[in-house]
Amino acid sequence: MSTTTTTRTADPIDPAPAAATPPVWHGSSVLLQIRVLTGRSLRALVTDPGVVLFGLLQPVVILVVLTQVFSKMGQPPHFPAGVTYLDFVLPAVLIDNAVQSAVQSGVGLVDDLKNGIVARLRSLPIVPSSLLIARSLANLVRSAVQAVILLALAIGVLGYSPRGGATELAASVGLTLFISWSLGWAFIAAGAWLRRAEPMQNLAVIAILPLMFASSAYIPVADLPAWLAAVAKVNPLTYAIDATRALALGIPGVDAAVPALLFGGAIAVVGATFAVLGFRRPM
Amino acid sequence: MTGLAAPPPDSRATTGEIMIEAQDVSKVFGSVRALDSVNISVPRGTVLALLGHNGAGKTTLVGVLTAALPLTSGRAAVAGFDVARQPQEIRRRIGLTGQFASVDGQLSGRDNLLLIARLLGAGRRAAQARADELLELFALGEVATRRARTYSGGLRRRLDLAASLVGRPEVIFLDEPTTGLDPSSRLNLWEIVENLVADGTTVLLTTQYLDEADRLADSIAVLSAGSVIASGTAAELKAKVGQRTVTVTLDGQDDPAAAVEALRRASMEPVTGLDNGAIIIPIGASKEIAAVIRALDRVGIEAAELSFGEPSLDDVYLTLAEQPSLLAPLSERPSA
Repeated sequence: MSTTTTTRTADPIDPAPAAATPPVWHGSSVLLQIRVLTGRSLRALVTDPGVVLFGLLQPVVILVVLTQVFSKMGQPPHFPAGVTYLDFVLPAVLIDNAVQSAVQSGVGLVDDLKNGIVARLRSLPIVPSSLLIARSLANLVRSAVQAVILLALAIGVLGYSPRGGATELAASVGLTLFISWSLGWAFIAAGAWLRRAEPMQNLAVIAILPLMFASSAYIPVADLPAWLAAVAKVNPLTYAIDATRALALGIPGVDAAVPALLFGGAIAVVGATFAVLGFRRPM
Repeated sequence: MTGLAAPPPDSRATTGEIMIEAQDVSKVFGSVRALDSVNISVPRGTVLALLGHNGAGKTTLVGVLTAALPLTSGRAAVAGFDVARQPQEIRRRIGLTGQFASVDGQLSGRDNLLLIARLLGAGRRAAQARADELLELFALGEVATRRARTYSGGLRRRLDLAASLVGRPEVIFLDEPTTGLDPSSRLNLWEIVENLVADGTTVLLTTQYLDEADRLADSIAVLSAGSVIASGTAAELKAKVGQRTVTVTLDGQDDPAAAVEALRRASMEPVTGLDNGAIIIPIGASKEIAAVIRALDRVGIEAAELSFGEPSLDDVYLTLAEQPSLLAPLSERPSA
């Protein structure tokens, strides 16, 4: 006679041990993880409005200073006809804001790595990439909030009125946010590999300032000195700025959106890949 | 005996089921062998203390066992699950309190606990209930809504430990849990750990503090340069190393010199010169206490006070960790 007996090996590394008691909760879906973690990243925006104000500092300074300085000067020869400097520079300021916000998503990841929360999350049964995706989404929200504040400031205080119309302005902002999101992945990847705040800040200064100034952001490319124009022509930000500007102003040049979207997509794919690889390395 | 002040009668410590097991675990970082064929085994409801210097490999071993670091060779299992093959199953069942408080300084204490409960799969209401329960248990109620970065070191540690208990883990890893804590916070944390163990939780604790291992641990593994150089209960380790002593204090009228002379004649090596005039005599086995008394009796001296001293874990630690080469006979693990 034989009763069915499941042989329990003495090996403690038995993959399905009877010993294991079920945990209290059964884990969360990836979507829930992303939602909860995005909420966590965004909470800083609510509890610490200084974060948003600080992020707005550079775009606002550029917006106010440049429009005040350049509106009193003669317009450069290749300036689009009938366009004020405010009209011209606002899309670039929004892009600048997008880029700043992207940098902050990398800085935020470095902060997370430093303050111990990543160590905690690693000990939980969650998908590690959900933290990266949450960072990226929080960046997008932050970028959008800041863009709205900047637009409100430009319209309310500086008297900006979008010449291209509301829908075109929305499309322009949408493209800006896409650029912010994709660049955010580049900086999240940098944060995942560098893991320290100082090199992140250095990278931000080294990468962002030249990219913004060697572009069509503040002066038409044709009016830049020849060598700078050469750099600006291969600078992907030039395409992004040209496209968002053409949309906002209702002038030709919207086709620059194609290289801008391609560039953004490529950066996002490469950035996300490297972010996951870098983040996977042990602490 | 061992760490637990008062093991409760219904302690489940006796079931003997192995909850943490490492078999020949090695971990190599580049050219550094951080762990070298480490074997440990911790039965359910007991505490193993990993004792060692900085750099001995304690944190690396915790990393391997919590599935945070891949091991180079060997096998390890926690709660019956293989660390390499079933890391998520392990993460569902463990709590980890690292050397540096792993909490989000931006969030309040309560929000930290809520975040973890939600990530573990608790519904909103269940998460709130569990967070409040832990806040109360850890006496964090008053600071629950304050951001964790404003907490003192002791509060952060308590929050950190609370955070690792959200999912009611069966196995807890405490990596130097009391480093940098003031004495009362330490005591507080020890009591919490003792309560958890009484409830059947299995604990692996790393520490540099011998009194901590002595108080909390059922068994101790001494780690040095990535190897377990000795293991056993605190009492076993002390018995193997260090010196037992008998301390004799004389009445005022007795002559210490005569006592020392009598003890020397009995082939002992008494030490004097302490402020209170006590004489310390190193002995081998405890029955030699009788020899001390007889030697004194022979010259008509009666000890006013007599005490027996076990070697401290400090002796164990210093002897073993500093001179691992002397330890060949100690490196076999005693049967658990």
